[in-house]
Amino acid sequence: MEFEPVIGLEIHVELKTKSKMFSNAPVAYGKEPNTLCAPLDMAFPGTLPTVNKEGVIYAIRVSNALHMSIDNELHFDRKNYFYSDLPKGFQITQDRRPIGKEGYLEIEVGGKVKRIGIERLHIEEDTCKQLHFPAFTLLNYNRAGVPLVEIVSKPELRSGEEAMKYVEKIRSIVVFSGVSDGKMEEGSLRVDTNVSIRPKGSNTFGTKVEVKNINSINYVQKAIDFEVARQAKIIEEGGTVIQETRRYDDKKNETVAMRLKTDAVDYRYYPETNITPIKLSDEFIENAIKSCPELAESKKKRYIEEHGLNNYDASLLVSEKAVSDYYDEATKHSKAYKLLANWINVDVASYLNKNIISINEFPMSPERLVGLVKLVESNEVNSNQAREIFAKMLQEGVEAKKAKEILGISSQISDMSFIKDAVNAVLAENPQAIIDYKEGKGRALGFLVGQIMKKTQGKINPKITSDVLLEELKKR
Amino acid sequence: MYEGKSILELHELLVSKKVTPLDLAKDAIELAKNDNCNAFEYIMENEALEIASNLGEIEANNPLWGIPFVIKDNMSTKDVSTTASSNVLNGYIPVYDAAVVEKLKNAKAVPIGKTTLDELAMGGTGTSGHLGITHNPWDKEHSRLVGGSSCGSASATAAGIVPFALASDTGDSTRKPASFAGLVGFKPTWSRISRYGLFPFAPSLDTVGIFTRNVTDAAIVTEVLAGRDDRDSTSSTKEVAHYFNKIKEKCEKRRIAVVKEIVETIKDKDVLEAFNKTIVGLKEKGFVINEVSMSTELLSSLFPTYFVLSCAEATSNNANMDGIKFGPLSNGSTFEEVVTKARTKGFGELIKRRFVIGSFALMKENKNDLFIRAQKNRRRIVENVNNILKDNDFIYLPAAPSIAPKFTDASDRLSDEYLIADNHLVLGNFAGLPSITLPIGFKDDMPFGANLMGRAFEETELLQVSYELEQVTGLANIYAKGGRK
Repeated sequence: MEFEPVIGLEIHVELKTKSKMFSNAPVAYGKEPNTLCAPLDMAFPGTLPTVNKEGVIYAIRVSNALHMSIDNELHFDRKNYFYSDLPKGFQITQDRRPIGKEGYLEIEVGGKVKRIGIERLHIEEDTCKQLHFPAFTLLNYNRAGVPLVEIVSKPELRSGEEAMKYVEKIRSIVVFSGVSDGKMEEGSLRVDTNVSIRPKGSNTFGTKVEVKNINSINYVQKAIDFEVARQAKIIEEGGTVIQETRRYDDKKNETVAMRLKTDAVDYRYYPETNITPIKLSDEFIENAIKSCPELAESKKKRYIEEHGLNNYDASLLVSEKAVSDYYDEATKHSKAYKLLANWINVDVASYLNKNIISINEFPMSPERLVGLVKLVESNEVNSNQAREIFAKMLQEGVEAKKAKEILGISSQISDMSFIKDAVNAVLAENPQAIIDYKEGKGRALGFLVGQIMKKTQGKINPKITSDVLLEELKKR
Repeated sequence: MYEGKSILELHELLVSKKVTPLDLAKDAIELAKNDNCNAFEYIMENEALEIASNLGEIEANNPLWGIPFVIKDNMSTKDVSTTASSNVLNGYIPVYDAAVVEKLKNAKAVPIGKTTLDELAMGGTGTSGHLGITHNPWDKEHSRLVGGSSCGSASATAAGIVPFALASDTGDSTRKPASFAGLVGFKPTWSRISRYGLFPFAPSLDTVGIFTRNVTDAAIVTEVLAGRDDRDSTSSTKEVAHYFNKIKEKCEKRRIAVVKEIVETIKDKDVLEAFNKTIVGLKEKGFVINEVSMSTELLSSLFPTYFVLSCAEATSNNANMDGIKFGPLSNGSTFEEVVTKARTKGFGELIKRRFVIGSFALMKENKNDLFIRAQKNRRRIVENVNNILKDNDFIYLPAAPSIAPKFTDASDRLSDEYLIADNHLVLGNFAGLPSITLPIGFKDDMPFGANLMGRAFEETELLQVSYELEQVTGLANIYAKGGRK
């Protein structure tokens, strides 16, 4: 029997606002435990939540990027349950009126574009961090109250690969929109998935299994593929899939039973009475949308359509926000798009990899890189020389012209008459080569170029030289 | 020495330098120590003396300068024990002051103690706090309750220990004990006063309340407490009017509604007589008294609606009490064990009952029948009240069916009797309207009061009319003399 996987994703994104969603304690990662807490975050009696405007703006940015309809009223609800990481005994969230509804995003699968529906996006607050030891548990309230948006997809994904692409797209959106670091390893982007299978062609749903503890983008695909196969095996052997929550074990690449998921815990939702509903004016929503930095999709389109880059180069540039920002900054000072793209995607990238740093730590500013590119663009140096200069710039921390000076590289000669003279001189000295060339002997051209280089001590611009050479050969 | 004196009387003494804030503080502390009504959780002796000694120059235009007062123990006081009269908060010392405490300190008033309440503000008898029964100073035999949940604040003010007290009102917790204790008990419009630092019982109903012994003092205190506080985003941004300056101005609004069906449920002839006498007096002052109707069915639903909604909210608002972050820590090998122990030990039986009911009302299978139906009914009730206030400016009713009941009479347990007379004050909480109780008479040497309710944010008018009513009754500044050891 052929099975069709039915997959839905619930993604939690930590927003990098300056302060928490409902208190004014700062939001920061990796600080000393329990130093970023307001009395509200530890649920001291009598404390009250106040809504973080930036958090709402960020949520609107993402909702808009996901083509969702945005609610013009802000409502919050309480999700009530007892757990050690939940100081108030309830979480402030949005149950009845999520800020974003009915959207979608597009992923590319097998060369085709597929649209995945997104049911809702809502704002809520994060819980404490817990550190479990055999004899005790430690609670760190720094994270309690950090703003989160939860994005719930419709169960329209059909493979682990599709799911991974969906997560990549979400990550790109939340990073490019400036609302989150989107790092799964740091917990600022968390993925839970619901997986079920059904006979191909069927319209009913099979039993849903929740899979948690997926800590990287790659594991998204691996965990889901494993789970789908596991469920298929059960059914083929005549068994039934149990509704439960499973944990992905990345070392063994398998999902392990965690707890039985009884048909939804009763969270006794009711309106958060300490936050009266807030009207969001059209202006507010529009400004929130306008405030969003350019997303990857839009940048890529622009690079292809306006800068003439190819799909590959453009894709590389937008694979990381900081890289595309670097490129954008550089293009403010130069229109040599292809050159800039190449330098960034190849030479800069290679340097970053070797030194294991990000482009944010790259010691050459975009303006400086432009300085180098300008030398190449004007044919003042050839590409080999440019690479030497690049290395020297990084070594000495100087700009291109200075590095060129230090290296003693004199400008390439691009003077037409000088080049013509050199070309003609060599042709005159090597009549046999001309005959060889006319007879189609491939090496003749290279030989002639080499001779010209020798004569001019390599100072001549090779590209212009070969153009002039071909022209002169035609005449003979 | 200064017991029973009003704010303005004390202010006069202070301005004329006949007395200092330190004198007043010492006197109030002495009275508090000798209080035998069990009104105090904690007497702030050191704190009060410290504050009173450092007030600097007298502020002649500030009537609260140097005036002692007490705080209901469900309000956060920095560095001072705050227990909400519950064992679950034994030893809890807050790191911050409630907005109202802050405002009074800024006004240079002097807090001298934290007063008892029905545990976590849930109750109406003044008997369920962890220190036991708080007595009514009017009854030397200690056979009658003072009511609740603001029992301690009511008792201390009625005994003349301080001229005003902070309290709270969710279903009638300021305005009912005011009636039993011969006090002015004022609950302003919901959102008029910041709830920051008021331990929440049911935030959609909770309001800070004020006890005084005359209407003018109530105006003074309310004006200081009212106003927008950004830490309470539900607090109103409306400007605060000058209640105190305007108190003696004749109110233009003079149409008073009396709800027939509520008065009919009152069987106490003395109460009815006194009430009718005030009606005559008000008419003589040019008020128009209209008899209006509310359906008995709707009135009978007041208590169940209140109980379902408030219990549901209370359950959620007290889910933070686990003994881990604050309060006495229990031991156990799992989170469940630790929390279960702390809450089992810490909460009284009546509280647990309310939590069970509250959780039950919010359960998926019951939510529609109980919680949502109660919410809808609340809306219906509020529409009714607001309708009455379209053609009338105030609603006027006896505050309680009779004088303070004897302990042997009262019960805080769930009862089958939804006495309308006992529960109509919750109309003010449902609708969030300003509502004030003041004494109108005595029976068996025990006071009883009547209640006026006005439109939202019309505190000025309500206080003005209350002032006129006070002149009709002549019962300003009464207090229970000599009620202590």
